[in-house]
Amino acid sequence: MKELTLELALKMIEAAERWARDIAESPCSIAVVDKAGAVIAVHRMDGAGMATTDIAIEKAWTAVAFKMPTLMGSRWLDPRNIGKLLGDHAMGMIGRGKGRLCFIPGGIPVTDEENEVIGAIGCSGVPSGVGDISDTSVSQAGVTALYE
Amino acid sequence: MNLKLAKTILSIAVSNAKEMERVCSIALVNENGWLVALYRMDGAPIPTAEIARDKAWTAAVFRRPSSEVSAYGDPRAQGFGLNAQNWNDRLTIIPGGIPIWDGDLMIGAIGCCGATPEEDVFLCQKIIEEIRSGQDNLNFKEVG
Repeated sequence: MKELTLELALKMIEAAERWARDIAESPCSIAVVDKAGAVIAVHRMDGAGMATTDIAIEKAWTAVAFKMPTLMGSRWLDPRNIGKLLGDHAMGMIGRGKGRLCFIPGGIPVTDEENEVIGAIGCSGVPSGVGDISDTSVSQAGVTALYE
Repeated sequence: MNLKLAKTILSIAVSNAKEMERVCSIALVNENGWLVALYRMDGAPIPTAEIARDKAWTAAVFRRPSSEVSAYGDPRAQGFGLNAQNWNDRLTIIPGGIPIWDGDLMIGAIGCCGATPEEDVFLCQKIIEEIRSGQDNLNFKEVG
């Protein structure tokens, strides 16, 4: 597996959709981007908010750009962590990347066998952020499906 | 427009594009211009995804093919001033966005980008024709 194809992207999205429908029980948008951060496929489930497509794309883009889950980045922006993780300049992340940077948990990068980032998946629309019912777990379901 | 219908249309679109030996991006928006699903085929240039979405948006909000919207840019036409509006950075007059009608009801729009404008339009029309011919098993009514 060297790069994400449309076929693989759809496989991930289908699995993430199943998780969103059956376990998280909230409609959401799921996006997959390639290693350049360019969108490969987006789905907005029936009933998901209209703006969630863009946020899902941005989360995936951010996950590729930083080669890490957006959950990690959101820790930097958490005011409670200021001074502990990165000195006190993490707030400067806000608004970077021509406004595309989105450190809301829900974007996860996808890696190949050599641990190189080949793309990312992003999800937006799950209201809760706890445990199985969160954007991150929906995305994770998509990532897991890729390695099955 | 629901996701099931969008997925059906997009799978038809991808197989059609493969038949034409073209790689392109295809976007499906609902009747208000909001994105429902978007595919960028393997090898399609990166900007095509956004352009396809813009075309579909334009077709949906103007309720006419994106190529016809340029008529409003004619100073002699009524409604001149199109370019002065804020169009959410999405307005495009590149051919390749076509609204999808179910009788009198517009249910969404499709946008293709990747080949020449003529081929994009041809692809859109071919897809719409195909979903029309297979309308029985698509169940447009549940779109409501």
